[in-house]
Order: sequence, then structure tokens, then C-alpha cells
Amino acid sequence: MGVVDAEQPAVEPHDRIAVSVKDVSMVFGNVHAVKSASFDLPKGRFLTILGPSGSGKTTLLRMIAGFDRPTGGEIFINGQPVSAVPPHGRAIGMVFQKLALFPHMTAAENVAFPLKMRRHDARRILEKVERYLDLVRLGGYGNRRINELSGGQQQRVAIARALVFEPDLLLLDEPLAALDRKLREEMQLEFRRIQKELGVTTINVTHDQREALVVSDEIIVMNGGSIQQKARPVDAYRAPSNAFVANFIGVTNFVEGRVVELAGSRATIEANGLHLAGLAADATLAGGKPCAGAVRAEQIRVAPKDGHLDGLETVVDGLVVDCIFEGERVVYEIRVPQLGDVLMRVFDHDPESHLQFGPGDAVRLGWNARDMHVFAK
Amino acid sequence: MTGSRSKSVVLWTFVIAALLMLSAPTVVVLGASFTAGNIITFPPDGLSLKWYGAIAQASDLRQAFVRSLIVATICTVVAIPVGTLAGIALAKYRVRFARSIQIYLLLPFTIPLIGSGIGLMLVFGNAGVLGKLWPVGIACCVINLPFMIWAVTASASNLSPDLELAAANCGAPPLQRFLYITLPAVLPGVITGSLLMFILALNEFLVSLLLVDARSVTLPVQIYNSIRSIITPDLAAISVVFIACAAFVIALLDRLVGLDIFLKSK
Ligand SMILES: Nc1ncnc2c1ncn2[C@@H]1O[C@H](COP(=O)(O)OP(=O)(O)O)[C@@H](O)[C@H]1O
Ligand SMILES: [Mg+2]
Repeated sequence: MGVVDAEQPAVEPHDRIAVSVKDVSMVFGNVHAVKSASFDLPKGRFLTILGPSGSGKTTLLRMIAGFDRPTGGEIFINGQPVSAVPPHGRAIGMVFQKLALFPHMTAAENVAFPLKMRRHDARRILEKVERYLDLVRLGGYGNRRINELSGGQQQRVAIARALVFEPDLLLLDEPLAALDRKLREEMQLEFRRIQKELGVTTINVTHDQREALVVSDEIIVMNGGSIQQKARPVDAYRAPSNAFVANFIGVTNFVEGRVVELAGSRATIEANGLHLAGLAADATLAGGKPCAGAVRAEQIRVAPKDGHLDGLETVVDGLVVDCIFEGERVVYEIRVPQLGDVLMRVFDHDPESHLQFGPGDAVRLGWNARDMHVFAK
Repeated sequence: MTGSRSKSVVLWTFVIAALLMLSAPTVVVLGASFTAGNIITFPPDGLSLKWYGAIAQASDLRQAFVRSLIVATICTVVAIPVGTLAGIALAKYRVRFARSIQIYLLLPFTIPLIGSGIGLMLVFGNAGVLGKLWPVGIACCVINLPFMIWAVTASASNLSPDLELAAANCGAPPLQRFLYITLPAVLPGVITGSLLMFILALNEFLVSLLLVDARSVTLPVQIYNSIRSIITPDLAAISVVFIACAAFVIALLDRLVGLDIFLKSK
């Protein structure tokens, strides 16, 4: 599908938009669960809405599914406004957080249900159910009752049920949250594989930043009901648009200070009397205003106290507080008196220097100016 | 050791005593029904099936039994839709007057039956329908409906609200959601409740007594009337048939939904 579109650039852009959310708000009493959210999602894409618990992700998804009506704004699916369309009139498949499989039906009956409701004929239903059970690798399990299936198998039934009627859109509301880590990571790749195989437009909701980075074409980061950033995973990670996003995705250290100089994309901040150069990452920065410099744990290098950190623009002294061995990397927690005793986390992926420093060691740490993103506070 | 031993002895003594007390009437009636003599005694005076033969011949008993079955059927047929819908509504929605409804659900235990019986007698008397069978069925239904509602709410409150949303998402309009998802989920409760309603209506004595006349007596009333003249062993035999009916319904319940769900009903 994507290939065809790429070869025909003459197609109107709005024909390629599967979902368009325009200024959508949701107010419950005095809780503003979603605040004027807007985004467009092109057909065939995998979008993840990422945010902490209570940030309005489920509310947004429920409005798209048609379970709740927005208190403001409008949602368009394939260009049509859908506020007046009940959930059963929308061709949207959904995998619920608690799966919501029908307990009194077998796996195959669950998958057949959407087709039955759409009055497909019996032979076609049998064919399609079999095809979709195969797709989710549950061929031969059709006659099992739901409680005779494992957690991972139930997930797969739920996916098959959501996809069997070839919906315009697939919604996933944290269906993996309850699984153990290994199964969760396996299912993430499974979602990705199936989505690519069918090319179905997908909106996934999660609070797991790793999942968002792994499975998505695009990420929307939400906080307190507002969209913070919409970007490709790489960009959300490398160029977060504000301090919240920088903090929520990845492990980030913040140095608080105030802006002393702005020159193009370069910002110099003053923190605890020290001048540090960084990248101006926020359009609202202004000289003299309080700000925060964000540096990722993996962008910081550590050296012995008298060692050299050649080529790094910012170098400060620190004291190792803790050293955590995580297998593929070591995480140092280092106190930096020069920056007002801020505690910085640093990843060391270099196998040869593993466990080089212990608690109490004096070290030196440094980073590039372009790796410190400066945000307004 | 000895402490827990003597405790279990005491416990078992109580259990056995309770079982004896509960089953004694049944055993006595059962024994008495097989007597070969002409008066009702226990232990029976010889063994025979002659009193069962006698009740098979006695058209008044047979007709009363059929009337009881009709009453129980009417009661159950009315209770199923009313109780099911009420039970689902109570479990699913935050109904107004929820407190008053809870009190209503306790009524069968608190209001003396004679009180509700007299009330119903006045109502049906005013309507001029006393002596017909259907008012007896309706009356049994009104009095015992809370049992039906309990059985259904017990099933329905286990039902996740996500299930109906999932069905909507699958393309099911409201009626289909109810028929294919909600109803099957509460079916064990409906079966439990309706069998219970059937037994209760079959056995109902006091209310029937107030609502029937000579042409519409139900079996319990018929038996009661007979006792007042002479007590013959045919009454024991019909009682056994009666008990067998109830036992059959309980066995059916166990087969269909299992007794544990019935005992768990709130
Ligand atoms: N039906 C509701 N009534 C009142 N408040 C609600 C309701 N649903 C959600 N909220 C509130 O809206 C906010 C967002 O909730 P939700 O969308 O469930 O967040 P998330 O899925 O991101 O955890 C929360 O503060 C929540 O308490
Ligand atoms: Mg949620």
C-alpha cells in the first residue's frame, strides 16, 4: 500500500490520512482529561501514544473508538467526521487492556463474532477465521475455550478478533502491560510483524518508552492531557521538544541554571557559577530566564580524576556514589559538587573499563555541547 | 492434639444432629408412605405401594398437583424476563433508590407471608379474579422475585463492562450485544433463579391458601384440607411425590450450572 502511494504522488494528501484528530478535548466534571489534541495519521502507519498513567491516553483512544463523545473538537476517519457514528458503526478493531474476550465462546467463535455481526456468510466466516488464526500463529487452537489458553495465546486471539474484519484502524490500549517482560517483548515484535504484513493503520497506547521506540513509525508523547511532541522515534529520542519529553524517554540528567547567551542554535547557560555551552532546543528560551540543560546518560564520558577527556567541550569533576552492574552496561551515579551537588547518571558500555570506578572514587566527566539540550523552565 | 480432637468430636456431633433434624421429616414421610396399613404411622406397618396406587386414582389430588404445576409455571415464566432485566439493571447501572431496592430484596425474609398474602388477597379480590389460577402464579412471583434478582445480579456483577464495549467494537448494535454477550454471561444466574422460583411456587402454601377457592386448590392446600378430616397414608405418598419433584429440580440445577453458584448467589 505504502509503495503504491509513493509511486503516485498525485494523490490528494487528505486521501492518505486515515485518522485526523482536530482540537479534541474531553472534560469529566472538573478533570480536563484531554486538552485540545490535534494530529493527523497517514494510512498504514504505526503510531504510539506514549505518556505516564493518567495522561489521557485511554480517553483519547475511547473517543476514537466511539465509546465516549469528545466535549470539544472533531475526529475524522478517512476524511469523514465520526462524532455522530456509534462505535458499532465504525470499522475500528480494538485490543483492550484486559483483552475483553468473550468467555462463553471458543477462540474461533470470538474471532468469528465481528464477521457474524457483519452478516458474512458461514463459509466465508470459516475461511477467514482460519486465516486470521494462522496469521497470529494459533492454527489448530480454534476450538479451545478462552480459559484454556495461556496469556500470550489470549493476546493473539484478541488481535485476530480485532483484525479479522479488515478494519480501517487498529487500536491497542496497553494490551501488553500485564505480561511478563520476555513475553511482552516477543508480543511487541509480533504486533510489528502483523501490522507490517497487513499494512493496517494502528494506534498503540503505552507508558513503556522502550515499547514506543521499538514498535512505532511515529510517537506522540502526552502529559496532563496535552500532546507534548509528535515525531519519529529517533527524533523523539534525539531531539525532544521539551524537558518533559527529554525526561520521559531515555535516562536524562538535568542541570538547572539560567540562560546567559543565545547565538543561533547555541545556548550558553550559567549553572552554579559555571558557564556551560549547549544546544538551544526550545523556541521560548530568552536571555536571563531560568532553564534546564538535559544530557543523556549515554552521552557522558567518565575518566579518572587526572585523566583526559579530549575533544569534549564541557568537563567537570565528580565523586562516584554508586556503581550498578546491569550486564550489558554499568550505570554510575556521580555527584557533581561544581554543579550544585547534582546527581548525574552515566552509562558505560565499554566492556574493558567495566567496574573501573567504585563508590568514593574521584572522577572527571564530560560531554559535547551539542549533546546538552537546553529547555526553558 | 487432644484439644483439636475434642473440638472435631463436638463439631461432628452438631453436624450429625443437624442432618438428622433436617432429614427426619422426609424419612418419616417416606417410610409412612410405604405402609400396608390404613393409618399413617412410622415405622410403617408392613410394606406396600398401595397408597401410591391410591393417589394415582385420586382425581382431586392429581388435579391439585397439575394446578400446582401450572401455578409454578406461570410464576417462573413471569419471573424470567422481569427478574433477568431487573437483575442486570441492578448490577450494571448505578440505579437510583439503590438502597430501597436492597431493602426490597430482603423482604422475603422480613415480611410475614401472612401479611403479604392478605395484601394480595385484597388486591386480587378487588379486581374480582380470586379463584382463578393465574393470580396465584403472579402472587408467588411477586413474593419470591428477590430470589430471582439475586441469582441474576450475582452472575451479572462478574461481567466486565469492557465486554459490551468489545462487542460494540466488533460491530454489534445494542440488541445484539444484549443477546450475544450479556445474556449468555448471566445465563447461569437465570437458570438458578428460575428453578428456584419454580420450586418455591410449587411449594407455596400460605399465599395459595388465601387466594384459592374450592375449584382452584393447589396441592399443598389440598393436602392441608385432607389433614383436617382424616389422615390417611395417601397424604404421605403424595408428599413423597412432591419431595421427588423438588429433588429433581435441584438435581437439574446441579447438572446445568452446579450447586456452588447457587450457594454463592448473594
Ligand atoms: N469516566 C471518567 N470520569 C472521570 N474522570 C475520568 C474518567 N475517565 C478518565 N478520567 C480521568 O481522566 C484522566 C485521564 O485518564 P486516562 O485517559 O485513563 O489516562 P491514561 O490512559 O493515560 O492512564 C485521569 O485523571 C482520569 O482520572
Ligand atoms: Mg489507560
